[in-house]
This record gives sequence, structure tokens and C-alpha cells, in this order.
Amino acid sequence: MATDTEVLVLGGGSTGCGIARDLAMRGLEVTLVERGNLTHGTTGRMHGLLHSGGRYAVSDQASARECIQEVDVLQDIAGHCIEMTGGLFVQRPEDSDEYFQKKLTGCRECDIPARVLSGAEARRIEPYLAKDVKRAIQVPDGAVDPFRLCVANAHDAERHGARIETHAEVVDLLREGDDIYGVTVRHDSGPGKRTHKTPGTTEDITADYVVNATGAWAGQIGAMADLEVAVRPSKGVMTIMNVRQVDTVINRCRPKGDADIIVPHETTAILGTTDEEVEDPDDYPEEQWEVDLMIATLAELVPILKEARTIRSFWGVRPLYEPPGTGTEDPTDITRDFFLLDHAERDGVGGMTSIVGGKLTTSRLMAEKISDHICDKLGHSASCDTADVPLPGSENLEALEDAMDEFGLRSPVARRSTQRLGSRSREVLQTTDPNPVICNCESVTRAEVQDAIAQSGSDLNAVRIRTRASMGNCQGGFCCQLLANELHPEYDEETARAAYDELFQERWKGERHALWGEQLSQAMLKYALHATTYNADGDPARTGTDVNFEAFDGGQTDTEAGPSGVVATDGGPRNRGGDQ
Amino acid sequence: MSDAAQPTDEHVPTDDDFEPIEVFPESTEMDLRPGADNCYKCSTCDTNCPVAEVDDEFPGPKFQGPEQWRLKRQDDHDIDDSVMKCSNCMRCDHACPSEVPLSQMHNTARGEYVEKQMSKRSLEYWRNRLLSNYRTMAHLGSKVPRLTNFMMGLGVTRVFNEKVLKITSEREFPAFATETFREWWDARGGYATSRERARAAREARGEKTTAETDKRIAYFHGCYSNYNTPEVGKALVRVYEHFGYEVMVPDQRCSGTPMYANGMLGDAERAAKTNVPELAAAIEEGADVIASCTSCSMSLRQEYPELFDIDGVHEVSNNTWEGLEYLRVHEDLKGELEGTTTDLPNLAYHAPCHARNQGLDGQAIEVLSAIDGVEAHDVGDSCSGISGTYGWKAENYDTSMKIGEEMFEHMEAADATHGLTECPTCSMQMEHGTGYDILHPLEILADALLDGGETQSSSGTGPA
Ligand SMILES: Cc1cc2nc3c(=O)[nH]c(=O)nc-3n(C[C@H](O)[C@H](O)[C@H](O)COP(=O)(O)OP(=O)(O)OC[C@H]3O[C@@H](n4cnc5c(N)ncnc54)[C@H](O)[C@@H]3O)c2cc1C
Ligand code: SF4
Ligand code: SF4
Repeated sequence: MATDTEVLVLGGGSTGCGIARDLAMRGLEVTLVERGNLTHGTTGRMHGLLHSGGRYAVSDQASARECIQEVDVLQDIAGHCIEMTGGLFVQRPEDSDEYFQKKLTGCRECDIPARVLSGAEARRIEPYLAKDVKRAIQVPDGAVDPFRLCVANAHDAERHGARIETHAEVVDLLREGDDIYGVTVRHDSGPGKRTHKTPGTTEDITADYVVNATGAWAGQIGAMADLEVAVRPSKGVMTIMNVRQVDTVINRCRPKGDADIIVPHETTAILGTTDEEVEDPDDYPEEQWEVDLMIATLAELVPILKEARTIRSFWGVRPLYEPPGTGTEDPTDITRDFFLLDHAERDGVGGMTSIVGGKLTTSRLMAEKISDHICDKLGHSASCDTADVPLPGSENLEALEDAMDEFGLRSPVARRSTQRLGSRSREVLQTTDPNPVICNCESVTRAEVQDAIAQSGSDLNAVRIRTRASMGNCQGGFCCQLLANELHPEYDEETARAAYDELFQERWKGERHALWGEQLSQAMLKYALHATTYNADGDPARTGTDVNFEAFDGGQTDTEAGPSGVVATDGGPRNRGGDQ
Repeated sequence: MSDAAQPTDEHVPTDDDFEPIEVFPESTEMDLRPGADNCYKCSTCDTNCPVAEVDDEFPGPKFQGPEQWRLKRQDDHDIDDSVMKCSNCMRCDHACPSEVPLSQMHNTARGEYVEKQMSKRSLEYWRNRLLSNYRTMAHLGSKVPRLTNFMMGLGVTRVFNEKVLKITSEREFPAFATETFREWWDARGGYATSRERARAAREARGEKTTAETDKRIAYFHGCYSNYNTPEVGKALVRVYEHFGYEVMVPDQRCSGTPMYANGMLGDAERAAKTNVPELAAAIEEGADVIASCTSCSMSLRQEYPELFDIDGVHEVSNNTWEGLEYLRVHEDLKGELEGTTTDLPNLAYHAPCHARNQGLDGQAIEVLSAIDGVEAHDVGDSCSGISGTYGWKAENYDTSMKIGEEMFEHMEAADATHGLTECPTCSMQMEHGTGYDILHPLEILADALLDGGETQSSSGTGPA
């Protein structure tokens, strides 16, 4: 039977995208289906730490070694997705010397470059560290942007002939006897690029082999073919600060703990995280105390965090997996390594392998191992090049500095844009058309927004993860509508409005966990702008009612406003006691 | 995307008393990113910026301040060059409802821009340095005031300024006084004389006449009233002595205002290192610091503690006042003025931006209205447009005049014979745009309060 594709990858997170790229580069025909946007799952809700391996140097040295190797690889192939900030394992006076020594020895055993700094030296690197920090171990940690990494992987897979379908949810596995031969997907708005308001369709996609890379949802997929995949989802909270209080990754140097890392991420710093098992990866409580506790704990390392502004909080679920019978009680003790479950070997059902666990840092290596396995299954022989060929956007990054002046943008805008676009900067930013900044907080210009729309259709959340537009301190208050406006004229008013609503909702989801202090003022201003100035709730275009133009007067006349209708900067003569 | 230095093993940690006042290594670089936390992006600052109003190329204070700072990483050094278009009027500071340290952000960014990005060999750099170090130029000029005034007026000098230095030839350089304020002060007998006169005044007023008095001020005259308008300084001394205050005139250098605006933070800090200890010593002796120029008082009060970490900087900041403000608070100024008259009754008053920022924009009119027959008209709250050295640069001249237009119109419409303002550069602009003679409120006060006694032109020795 001829199939639609050779390999069908389920899940568009870092694992799925990595596998799709790897297999496509090896010459296989690949289709990837994802129920939301790329990174819709855990990948879009992680901490953004590019692990040097230091974190695992005591507890899991195999992982630690993989991490440091991958950090090297990613610097070569994914330079525009990562920032080598460096990292510190900071010891406070009450933290154990013995563990500090173990950490240091562990790093050296795993070939992770590490050196000890005095408290003063650590504070010279990061002046906002608490005055009483005792010592620190400096390691080559970094920051990684999971969105850009996944998008670049998917983009490269497409360049190698893959089909990437987002907003395509797997609703059934096609199984005949002991063989899985494909899936049924429900397209949210028809196949291809997403367009809001297009009616959904279902499609059967058959394949020679299916890879279940749905992470925390792998059990749900397995169940569709009566297979048990015992994922133990565990949630973690992260809080995004408005500015970077630190430019280096700060880890607390003590045995496994909650709330012990600060990652400088793009324009922000992200605090994280916790570890608590949940029943359902789609429905778990998100609680304020988790945020409060985390800020309080991390403020022991960086006291300024207590007063600093937070812009949102979000939770992610780890797809932790334990082979049956291990019985670990505490989720922090469950291994962070990944598991490859070949259902033929395990359950006697052929045609599918499930992948669970792992880390984003080592996702390329995971993809390589899984792809080896699949090629083996399919009898396809091809070598893996993913460690040597840069991702689109990361080619020749050195040449980029010189190009920044060419784009006619203000220097910080040009700098941020090129940091995001990498080697695609010229292709995207060099335009003869006007190129205004659409998102001021993150310095995203029209050209970059249009490039993202060309990639992802009318989906503004997809534009968001590609550009960071609406991810700054106003949380879309000033740019949601401008972004929606960019959809026109390719998309009609109704589509643009639906896209705007969706983006607005998504932003609100994370904002509501940071409603105090400055961010509360910000939310109030956003509300005032959207609900009152733009009349979002009572918009006649939405409600279908007529506008009562009679209710408006004719405006100010020239004679009242002074010479030729120009209003003076001081507002003209003061009209005390007036009712204006 | 930068490569972090790969740490190595050989390192031996050392301990020292590092105090992280500055996050970025050099002294002009402070980490103001946390200041961006206060900004909720309402754009009030943008709508109050006089430069943004007339210059579409200028991105406005919101971008210049909180947005640009927020985008910064520790090793980024590319401040947008538009920061040089900001005139440092500090209206944005005043406008912001959320306490974003805008002018501090602009000043620091500008300092970094000049330090890191502007070529030290460029004419622009040297022109700005020349303009901002007005005192040096003025000091030389005042040695031979007539010759300098003559030279500056020469067509050839102005052509050189315009063509080579890009200093606009539209403006006339302020004339140097033939006798500086300090020369007058020294010749008059300095503090000793002032003490005598103050004691006599206290006696006449029925106050304490002992040597022990808390009525003592340290006058920060700044450059302009020293070299160009000593009448203002003299007026201040006489008015304060009239109220029984002993006047000290400590050694001093430029307040720094023109230097911030040009990103010359190093020069400003050097000057501050003279001013702060001198003024702090005077405060120690029981004096309050009084400035007659609102930009000088602004600088000592706000910019000094924001930008420099010098011993005594907070004492100076907390004890500095503007000349009229101090009397308003400490004396019954209105009562004293009741029944007085002046020869200069019809005035068009412009409140300088820096007066506005200190909440002093209403006081001159209110105080002077107490003098019989005085009609002082407020010409509105627009910016004069010159903002110190800003309007002197050929590239800013048009913008500067465009900003000033509203003030010019209001001045011309006002029924007045003279202009009135506290700020020396605003006064240049007012004169340039309207042809009015411009006075300082203290000059009116002196005229009203002091009849006879030491006359305006006297410069003799001892109490006149
Ligand atoms: C709180 C937290 C912090 C973390 N921090 C770090 C870190 O700092 N560094 C690091 O290296 N790693 C970190 N990780 C681990 C890392 O994020 C994950 O290992 C990685 O993102 C997993 O990617 P994935 O592709 O396997 O899973 P996912 O990203 O979850 O991808 C699975 C995808 O499958 C899709 N899917 C589900 N059901 C269906 C369906 N029926 N049909 C179609 N698609 C479906 C989902 O929408 C999802 O997009 C963190 C994890 C958590 C939870
Ligand atoms: S006025 Fe203040 S809060 Fe408003 S945008 Fe400007 S800096 Fe931000
Ligand atoms: S200081 Fe004045 S010119 Fe500069 S940005 Fe602020 S308001 Fe505009």
C-alpha cells in the first residue's frame, strides 16, 4: 500500500521539530502534525536555560556530558537561537561547602569548564547578587529561545521537502491488527497555513512509520491505539521579569531545589522553577503562592527581585517518564533523560515509537538517536549532518555586525532585529518600503512581522513566537491591534479580528498572574485603551448595531481654537471652571 | 549571541571590597535598566517633549529612555544617535506620572554615546566640548572682554563658527561684562563686607544682631551671571543682604548642565568634584546653597545625586534652593513687597523648563505681582527652544526656533516692555526671537526693595 508519507511525526515541540529536520536531511519524506502552533506544548513553556551540564554534574553525569557537548554544537549551528551568557552556581553562607565541592568536582569530571570565584568576584560580574554570597562556580551556561529553535528546525525540514502541519490535532491512530499505519487529524482551518474562520476538515495521513513525540501528551496518543505510555506530567512555574536584572544565568548551588535559577532571556529575566506532579497536562491549578514563593526564594540570591516588576507568569509540564516498576515518589528524583519506546519491542505493535522525557538543550542529540533508530527500522541508510549544518538564520553570523547599518533602523532596533533574525536579517529587513516599528517594547518592525505572516498565515500567536512582538512590558496593549492590522489586505477584517482576539486572550492568560504594582497599572492602561478608546466590547462591527453619529457634535471650530485651528501646546487659553 | 569567555581552572579567587555602584565597568555607565520597570508606556512624556513636537526624526523620550534601556545587554554599546537631539529640557521627567528617571537615562546614554561612539577627533565632539565648557571660554574671554566682544561680533569669526564649528551664525554671542561678578565681589570685600552689611540689615529689621546667625547663604552664581550678567549676581547679593543674610561665594566651577546635554559626563564630574566639597563645606558652616540660575539649582539638586557618587553630594542636593524660592519660603516676601514700586512694571514672563521641573514655574509672577503696579504676564508653558547649548548648534537652529515660536508669539502679544526669566539661555532665546531686553526676577526685586544705598553701577570698595 502506498502511504502519504514515509515518516509521520506527531508533535511540534523541540523533539518533533528536531526529528523532522534530521530525517528530512537524511532524505526521508516527512510530515509533522501539531495540534497548536509550533512549541504549543512544553517547549513553549520552558525556562530557556541552555544547560552547560553543571546542573546535572552531581546527580546525572551522563546527561551533564551530553549537555556540554550540545552547547558546543548549538554554538555552531544555532547561534541566532542562543546567547552564551555564562552561568554561575552561587553559594550562600548557609549552603553546604561539601555540595559546592561535589559540584565542582562533578563539573570537572564531565569536562565542563568550571572555575571558582569569590563572592566579590561574582558580584563584579553580577552586581545585583546579594552582598553576602559566599562563592560561585562559573560555567558556560547560556540562554536559548525555544521558539526560534523550533521554527528554524521546522523551516529547515520544509526546505528539505517536509510537510509541516500546525493546528492539526491527532484524533485517532490508524491501527490494523498489530500495525499502526497512520493517524486521523482534524485541521482547525483546513490544511496548509492557518487562516482563521476557514472551516475545519479531517484528514487521514498514512505513513510507513509514526513517531509519537507528543511529550506530556504521549500517553493520550498511545491510548488511541490501546497502548500504555506512563508519562508522569509534572508542572513548573516560571515568572518573567520586565528587565534583565542579571546578564548571566544564576543558579543556586545546593542539591536539587525549587526556585533556584534566573535566566537572562532576550529583554527579560525568567525566574524558575518548581516541580510538582499533576494529573492532567491540560488542566492543572495555577496558583499565586507558587509565584510568590519563587520570587521570595530567588530574592535570597538577587534581592532587587523583591521590588522588581514582573510581567507575567506561566506554567509548563515536564513529560517525565519512568520505566514501569521504578516507583519514584518525588518528581525531582525522576531522571531527566529521555526514553525511546519502540512499541513493537514493548507491546508487539509495529509501526510506531514514542519518545518521552529529555531536555531542550539536548534535543538535537535526541533527534539524532531517534532518527538512527527509525532509519534502522525503515532500512534507510544515511548519515546525520545536523551537528554540522547550521540552521537557517545561523549561517555566517560573523558577517552580520557590519550589516546592521544597512537597514535604516535606529541602532537598538537594528541590533535586536538582527539578534532575532540572524543571517536572515538582510533577506527580511532590507526593504524599500516604509518599515515602522510595530512592537515598541521588543523593537519589531513591519518587515519582520510580514515575514512571519508569510510563514504562518493569519495566526498572530505564530507571529508572536517568531518575532517576540507583544512579549514585552505592555503585553500587547499597544501592538495587538497594529499586528492585526498587518494582516490586511491579505486577510479580511473578520479574520484579522479573530486573530486579534486570540492573541489578546493568550496575552491575558499569563498577565493575570502578575497583577500588582507596575504591571497592574499596565493592565489598567491596556484595559482603558482597548475597552474604552477602541470600544472593543461595544464595537458596532462586532455587535452588529448601528453607530449613532448624531451623538457627536461638529467638533471645535477654527474661531474657538485660535489661528487656523492649531491647538497650542499649552492647550491654549485656560478655561477655568469649564466642564471640559 | 556573544561568546562567554570559557572559564579555566587556573584561577585563584580573590576578595576585595567591591561595591557595585556602577554595573557597567566605566564610571559613565550605570545600569538603569531597572528604571524601565516604572514605565507603563502611557506616552505622556512623548506628548510633552518639545523636540518631538517639531522634529519627526526624533523618536521621543519614551524610546530614548525606558525602551532603549530595556533593550540593553551588558556588553551592548550602541546608543542611537538621536539621543544627541534631546535638548535636556527635562520636561519628560516632569511629565511622567510614574517616576521613570528619564533625564538620568538620557544623560547616561548620551554620556555613553559620546564616550563610545562619537569620534574624539570629530569636529562635532570638539565643538560640543567647546560649547559645554563655556566657563573655560568665558574665563579667557572675560580677561579681554572688549576685544572678545569685538572679535565675536566680527563677520569672519561668525563665518568660521558656522562653517567650521557648525555654531549657528544666526545668534550673537552674549557680550562679556567688563567686570565679572567675582571681580566685583572681591573688590567689594567678599564675605567680610557681606557679614557687616547683613548684620546692619538685621539690626535695621529688629532681628538678632549677634555674630551667631543662621542667616547665611552660599551663592552658586554659575558661569553666566559671573561672566555675562553680573547684575543678576549683584542683585542677589543685595536682596539677600537686605533680608539680613550673610553671603558667601565659594569657589566653584560649571554646574554641569551644558555638559550633560552634550554627553560630556567626565567634564561634568570633574567640575562636580570641585563644587560638591566647596558647597558641602559651606553647608557645614550653616549656609544654604542658593542659585540664581534654575538650571544650576536643578543640576545640584537632581542630576548630581543621580549621576555622581561624591562625598557630600546628597547634603548639597538637600540644601540647595533657587534664589526666589528660598526667600519665598523663609521670609515674608509678599509683605515686604507691599507698597513698593519699580520702574519696570510691564513684564512678559517665561518659566524655564528647569524651573518647571522644580515646581517653580508660578512663583515669579506671584511674587512680583505684590509690587504696586507690576503687570507680569505668563507667556504660556511652552519651551523656549534653546535649551542651553542646543540652539547654538547649526543643525539644531531651525528646530530650536520652531520650538520657540509659540513663546515668541505670546511674548509679542503680551502688553510688556521687558521679558523676564530666570534662565540665562532662555533669556538669549527670548531676546533673539523678540528683540526684548530680558531681566531676572531678582533684578526686579532689587529694584523694588532697595532704594538708594548701593546703586546698580557701584563697584567700589566697602559698603557703599
Ligand atoms: C517548567 C519546565 C522548565 C524546563 N526548563 C528547561 C530548560 O531550562 N532547559 C532545557 O533544556 N529543558 C527544559 N525543560 C525541558 C524541555 O522543555 C522539554 O524537555 C522539551 O521542551 C520537550 O519537548 P517535546 O517536543 O518533547 O515536548 P512538547 O514541547 O510538549 O511537544 C509535544 C507537542 O505535541 C503536541 N500534541 C499533543 N497532543 C497532540 C495531538 N493529539 N495531536 C497533535 N499534537 C499534539 C503538543 O501540542 C506539543 O506541541 C523544561 C521543562 C519544563 C516543564
Ligand atoms: S510618561 Fe513615564 S510611564 Fe509614560 S511612557 Fe513616558 S516614561 Fe513611560
Ligand atoms: S529632555 Fe526634553 S528634549 Fe529631551 S527627551 Fe525629554 S522632553 Fe524631549
